[in-house]
Amino acid sequence: MIEMLSYDFMQRAFLAGILIATLASISGTFIVLKRYSMMSETLAHSALVGVAVGLVAGFNPLWMAVSVAILSSWTIEYLRSSFSLYSDAILAILLSGSLAVAIIIVSLGGAFNNSLFSYLFGSILSVSSEDIVTIMIFGTISLLLLLAFSKELYFIAYDEEVAKTSGVKVKFLNYLLVTVVAIIIALSIRVVGSLLIGALMVIPTVAALQYKVGFFKTGLISLVIALFSVVAGMTVSFYFSLPSGATIVLCVIFIFVISLVVNKK
Amino acid sequence: MPLKFKVPIFDVKNLNFAPSSQKILTNISLEIFNGEYIAIIGPNGGGKTTLIRMLLGLETPTNGEIKIYGKKLKDFKEWRKIGYVPQRASLVDENFPATVQDIVNMGRVSKRSIFSRASREDKIEVEDAMIKMDVLNLKDQMIGTLSGGQRQRVMIARALASKPEILILDEPNTGVDMVSQKRFYALLSKLNKEENITILFITHDVGVIVDDIGRVFTINQRATICNNPKEVLGCGDMTALYGTQAHLLHNHKHEH
Repeated sequence: MIEMLSYDFMQRAFLAGILIATLASISGTFIVLKRYSMMSETLAHSALVGVAVGLVAGFNPLWMAVSVAILSSWTIEYLRSSFSLYSDAILAILLSGSLAVAIIIVSLGGAFNNSLFSYLFGSILSVSSEDIVTIMIFGTISLLLLLAFSKELYFIAYDEEVAKTSGVKVKFLNYLLVTVVAIIIALSIRVVGSLLIGALMVIPTVAALQYKVGFFKTGLISLVIALFSVVAGMTVSFYFSLPSGATIVLCVIFIFVISLVVNKK
Repeated sequence: MPLKFKVPIFDVKNLNFAPSSQKILTNISLEIFNGEYIAIIGPNGGGKTTLIRMLLGLETPTNGEIKIYGKKLKDFKEWRKIGYVPQRASLVDENFPATVQDIVNMGRVSKRSIFSRASREDKIEVEDAMIKMDVLNLKDQMIGTLSGGQRQRVMIARALASKPEILILDEPNTGVDMVSQKRFYALLSKLNKEENITILFITHDVGVIVDDIGRVFTINQRATICNNPKEVLGCGDMTALYGTQAHLLHNHKHEH
């Protein structure tokens, strides 16, 4: 462990991983409770459109990913609240649509190269100091917003209509939540990849739900599972030369299975 | 109808709801005053839930006017004065990570500012609501593990935690056994008489509670307001509303 942490790139990787695990698991708790689990996948694919535009047009892919993910999250929320469409159907349409747009942009621009590949599967070991600072700044803002409105978001997740009739600003908070999740996903895809961020956002909460405890404890267990998975996954990937993002996801799935078995009725 | 109060809590005038030209509610006008205990009855599909949802701003009327405490719906901000227990509230998602206390705490959310922890007043009101609904001993239990009757009391405790002036309940007895129902009606009556909480609720059990309620609104696309609940069971309105089922309600009353 000490040998592993003697490398600068591993120190950055661990720091980035811990930050992403914290952000993904806390935001994931609200997403899962709102039955929005597929949103993380959809926004990750939307963020990929931003990356593709950035790579082809020469803009910063991270900022383009954030912008497109936010636009996509607002589209999802608008369609959900304004039309009688099933939420999961909206997510499926945007997911496949985003992927199609990303592929077309990249093929037209001839930029289907290693850069895009790293955004698909993550490249935690090539995280730069600049990436860390960006994740820290926007991650802190996102986390503060989630914590500030956690009691309202929890109420909305439990019963949106009763929350509305109690005076909670449901519409504003729904948009805020999807915006924050979009930012967190866009920040994360560089680290764990657009195909894998959904797992880090959803599975820790689903595993924590198996313990059947209250909201606060569920959030805490989810956070611990996400942090443990990232640390364990990166350690295993370092010593066995495995892809870090995929190893992290397999670790979190392993903990989910254990949680399921331990709490079997 | 009580005349001593000048401004009704709800003042509904010529309300119509006809989405896609399908008439759900037609020309509804009614007033609800402070301290009243009102039952809404009517056949399934008659528009009872739609009316309540419009009073709460969850549905938009095709035309007509709703005022709450003298203000138009869009201008009304003091939603904490209204406690709402929706239909099938006791049929909760059993996997939702919430203890009884987590649920009742939700009743205080709109009173707290961002980042603020629960104040002493919040804790007192939450505990008081749990005592009133006799669920304090269940406060650390997961909501999914409770019986239908217990969940129902938790949902009302949540509504009471905000110290509402009016409690609106939509078929609160769905999924609740008969023993719990009788206990529930006794609790509602107590809240109305001792706490002066105005109560408006949808029910099919009007025969059971006819001695306690002040007025009955019968809703079947149109509204009929019966100021004497004992008369409603014998009057022609019931036959018009329920058809051949009217006598069942009448008999139901005598069985109790």
